Amino acid sequence: MSEKGDPKAREARIREALLGFGAERLTSPDPKKSGVALSAVMPGERMLEASEWLLKEGYTLLDLSTCEFQEGFLVSYHLDSFTEPFRLALRVLVKDKEKPVTPSIHPAFQGAEWHERESFDFFGVVFEGNPNLVPLLLPHDLPGPPPLRKDPKALASLDALGILGDGAAKEGGKGKEGGENGV
Amino acid sequence: MASSNFNFINPFTFLNVQDSPGTYVGDFYTDNFEKGARAGNVILNLGPQHPSTHGVLRVLVELFGEYVLRSEPVLGYLHRMQEKMGEVKTPYQYLPNMGRVDYLNPIAWNWAFAGAVERLAGLEVPEKAEWLRVVSAELNRISSHLLWWGAFVMDLGGVTPILYAFEEREKINDILQIVTGSRLTYNYFRFGGVGQDADGRFVDLIKDFVPYMRERLKMYKALVTENIIFRRRLEGIGPMGEDICRRYGATGPIMRAAGVMCDTRRLYPYGIYDRFDYDIPTGPTDDCMGRYLVRLEEIKESLRILEQAVRDIPGGPHIVAKAPKPAYKLPAGESYFTVEGARGQVACHIISDGGKTPYRIKLRAPGFSNLSLFAEAAKGTLLADAIAILGSLDLVIPEVDR
Repeated sequence: MSEKGDPKAREARIREALLGFGAERLTSPDPKKSGVALSAVMPGERMLEASEWLLKEGYTLLDLSTCEFQEGFLVSYHLDSFTEPFRLALRVLVKDKEKPVTPSIHPAFQGAEWHERESFDFFGVVFEGNPNLVPLLLPHDLPGPPPLRKDPKALASLDALGILGDGAAKEGGKGKEGGENGV
Repeated sequence: MASSNFNFINPFTFLNVQDSPGTYVGDFYTDNFEKGARAGNVILNLGPQHPSTHGVLRVLVELFGEYVLRSEPVLGYLHRMQEKMGEVKTPYQYLPNMGRVDYLNPIAWNWAFAGAVERLAGLEVPEKAEWLRVVSAELNRISSHLLWWGAFVMDLGGVTPILYAFEEREKINDILQIVTGSRLTYNYFRFGGVGQDADGRFVDLIKDFVPYMRERLKMYKALVTENIIFRRRLEGIGPMGEDICRRYGATGPIMRAAGVMCDTRRLYPYGIYDRFDYDIPTGPTDDCMGRYLVRLEEIKESLRILEQAVRDIPGGPHIVAKAPKPAYKLPAGESYFTVEGARGQVACHIISDGGKTPYRIKLRAPGFSNLSLFAEAAKGTLLADAIAILGSLDLVIPEVDR
């Protein structure tokens, strides 16, 4: 927090640390539009280490927003420090759709337990190491597939949406027939 | 089961783990919770109809005498799958839902969703609309805090204050009714502006309300804040320092009572908040009393913003001329927009693929994260103190469950 007056140095330090944790596709999307200052794709198995480092840096987990794409489940961890306007979006792409598993970050951010359970409810993504991975918002005996999974025909492609790229969407991202996605 | 004639008046005997290995009385969650229980301890369901759980929160507690050894909130009784609704409705159709996510602070949710859509689509908002947004958001913050104040004191055994709180709340409802047309689940914001312009009566009522509310706050202080029984119930109870807040993602008055000046209005300025002179109150202590005082201070700061706002009212339209039509399609991309609600950071994350309906909408409810730290904070406290801690979190269950 010593470099409060120097956002460049802070950004460089966070970038360097994230690269050290194996981050890929680091981008700085327009914060006004996207709401995040830095976006990165993390390897799932290093996410806990990165979380522990970020907790020491004064970051806190805002939420965990999962979304299904053609490529797999994109789990976005939104983190904020509340001392400087520098919100992070760290993503983990869980590629295996049959058995989506990614390690939990519960040991660092205990608040992640509920967010992970919510993602487990809605998408069926399993967070390994979560101490109490039982349904949180949905009934424990709800039949059928997780409710926010999409019809395979309605799935969009991550690359076409440009979420992980430069923030600007490329043409041809309209992979969905509106309103008909798997109810 | 034992053949005692008194079984029916003592439901706890049924819940003893030792008595019924492999089977369970109760439901899935009770059974899951019981697995870690020590023999002889009482497992109790607080709620989902307990008055102090405000709505339908259920908390499972393991009690040793009067001490809470372990607890686990059970959610989902008010779950409506708002996020799925967001995926099957167009943004315009989905907008009224925002008044229902948190019925005590709908303006903040209106703003979070409308703001996320506007940022993603690059829509301009006229100055007058920004003014109306700030004024309605601050009025709503006060009315939300007032209801919390009354209900919190009621949890602790003082029944009278909620009646006073409702008197003030009614005045705010009268004011907000002029522009929003409703008294509870406001659906006021539109993409690119607000639904209706204010008239002279709106401004006059706010001008009357500000000094009136300040007088009432003095009465609140004399009636409740300085009451010795009340203070003893709160001081030193449920300390939540910066560390636990960060680990659980608690925001809003809870984080501020821990001494962190976290306020989205300051950190990521939106609307025209940068024009007003106001302070971000941080708590003198991080216990229940600190959280109580922070919220009362926030009412004062909101009154300061309102006072400055009615002094200088911008002209112009209340909605942008080329406001999106109901069949409006969002451009492809992603947007994460946060506003400062009465309970903390409210956020809306939209992913759009350019189709008729958004690809994914994620709502970040501050109450969800705030409640998640309850189990740790209540560990080892007396049951009555756990109720005080629960009340000091200012929970609105529809928002937690979404």
